[in-house]
Amino acid sequence: MSDTLLAILHMIIFPGGIFALAVGFFFKGLDRRVEARLQRRVGPPLKQPWLDTAKLLTKETLIPKTACRQAFLLAPVFGFTGMAVCAAFIPIPGVYSGLNNMGDLLVIFYLLPIPAMALMIGGSASSSPFGALGFSREMLLMLAYETPLLMILLAVAMLAGKSIAGGAAGAEFSLLKIVNWQQQTGSLGLNTAMIPALLAYLIFLPGTLGVAPFDIPEAETEIIEGPLLEYGGPLLALFNMTSALKTFVLLGLGVALFFPGVISAWWPVNLIWFVLKCLVLMLLSITVVKSATGRLRIDQAFRFYVTIPAALALCSLILVWVM
Amino acid sequence: MASFLKVLFRNLLDGPSTDPYPMGPTFSPQRIRGRAKVDPNLCMGCGMCRYSCTAGAINIAHLPDGSGYTITIWQNSCCRCASCRHYCPTGAMSVTDDWHSAHAEKDKFNRLEQQTIKYEPCADCGTLMRPLPAHLAQRLYAGNKEIDQEKIRHICPKCRRIEDAKRTARRLLTPAPEPMEAAELTSAASTRY
Amino acid sequence: MSLDKMLQKISVRSPWLFRINAGSCNGCDVELATTACIPRYDVERFGCKYCGSPRHTDVVLITGPLTTKVRDRVLRVWHEIPNPKVTVAVGVCSISGGVFRGGYSIEGPIDRYIPVDVNVPGCPPRPQAILEGIVLARSIWLKKLGLEE
Repeated sequence: MSDTLLAILHMIIFPGGIFALAVGFFFKGLDRRVEARLQRRVGPPLKQPWLDTAKLLTKETLIPKTACRQAFLLAPVFGFTGMAVCAAFIPIPGVYSGLNNMGDLLVIFYLLPIPAMALMIGGSASSSPFGALGFSREMLLMLAYETPLLMILLAVAMLAGKSIAGGAAGAEFSLLKIVNWQQQTGSLGLNTAMIPALLAYLIFLPGTLGVAPFDIPEAETEIIEGPLLEYGGPLLALFNMTSALKTFVLLGLGVALFFPGVISAWWPVNLIWFVLKCLVLMLLSITVVKSATGRLRIDQAFRFYVTIPAALALCSLILVWVM
Repeated sequence: MASFLKVLFRNLLDGPSTDPYPMGPTFSPQRIRGRAKVDPNLCMGCGMCRYSCTAGAINIAHLPDGSGYTITIWQNSCCRCASCRHYCPTGAMSVTDDWHSAHAEKDKFNRLEQQTIKYEPCADCGTLMRPLPAHLAQRLYAGNKEIDQEKIRHICPKCRRIEDAKRTARRLLTPAPEPMEAAELTSAASTRY
Repeated sequence: MSLDKMLQKISVRSPWLFRINAGSCNGCDVELATTACIPRYDVERFGCKYCGSPRHTDVVLITGPLTTKVRDRVLRVWHEIPNPKVTVAVGVCSISGGVFRGGYSIEGPIDRYIPVDVNVPGCPPRPQAILEGIVLARSIWLKKLGLEE
């Protein structure tokens, strides 16, 4: 009973829910600020995501007459909950060890598409033709970027499984064990066999977070923000919070998979170290790319994802197999 | 591939190039066209500006008692083409560099440039008229030394014709000591209105 | 001060912008685009963002003289915007009709159909003047919420 309660607390307060939201909003604010600096602008203040959320909470909610009411209202809640739960599975090296210690890599893989699903449900429930367009684009993009992700996770799991317990397990799907193993033997991001997988992960990030050049499902100029078109007020705030949580989850997963080192025995230092590593990942894979590129077409993005990141991840997988 | 990274890095080093406006100062280019203005001392009420105004922003209304007229420029219709300045024969129209145009809806019809201009009586016959601007009179009568510019500015076109007839008669009646020099004639003829 | 009032008070610091082209010649639209795209003007400083959907909008910028063809669509989009909203008329066309006033296809200035809050005349207005208008719209938004700056 108390385990369940603790798990729920982990989902709501730390590291899911409130903590992940705060860190995610900090990342988003910094991302906008750094992007502005890269384009020689001043940019919004660091607390802009908070201000946006406060603004959206005060706005009125309009529900289209022809929309499917329940699905329309529940889709953002679905996405937010999914991500808050997912955030509780992300181990913070030296601070927090993640919820389930058996096969949480697989759980995370199944929880990750939930925001995209919520977006698709909401978009199609809004009965807007642009929502339907956004639905189809989101689905295509999801198909494209899930393949490299699966291969990256497999490569990491196989490499870890080979070393832990002398290869008896075959593949290791416990994120905590992977993290602990890396802390003893060295980060995977510095392993020659895993460098293609790391690159593939960096390329995978902007696609799944829906930022330029892969913000095709929510393109505001072509399909007027697609699935988000009919959302406004608190529901849109919920979608923004989901996106912030997703930023935290994906960056945290990247750190746990590739750079889970710790620098101190004291947990606040480790926490700051973790956030700093997340920041570097974000700046490299999201901000720099976003500030210098335009938006791709959906067929270009699809072709890109099923070739380059998939090939890189496959390369890593084969290297792990051979070595 | 690397060139865009170089650009981004340079941007990061150079820092933002944003104008602090509206929190701080900004600049105005030299020839920017802002609010239109009319100089009440120079305006003759010919209506050339109203005729040439693309946006129909200029209105000239005569006072009911006939003692003058009101010229109004509605800044919210003015498209800053500066046709009025170009075509104004007396140079009364000017376009300032005041580009601060944002205002609340309640001020919409208050953003006017309005001048009520009174006629003056003709120095000879007393008909109401606008005096010719001094700089224009100077240009017009530069080649003709027998005309008193200050006087002719203040008389109406009808009296000016009478004055001209008087001058011609005087010249014809008194025998000229020697013919007018050709250079003087051409310079008088080339002064345009 | 209640939480609601506090949220409302900070809400004006993230005015999201939306453009409606009511038959404009695109001059004003280009100037609006410069406020976001040219680093010198950078409208994002005020927390602004040009959004694609009218449902996300707080400050709506209308350009153009409202032609007959576009009138019903403009009204429809304008009514899609959730309250509280601030309407800004950009350019002389939307304020008075400008050079198109009295044309056979012009339904007259915007405020004949839509309550306008801020006017930014100009043909087109300077980007700085548009920024001025957005800052003015923020204070009018506060007034609409019943809070003075």
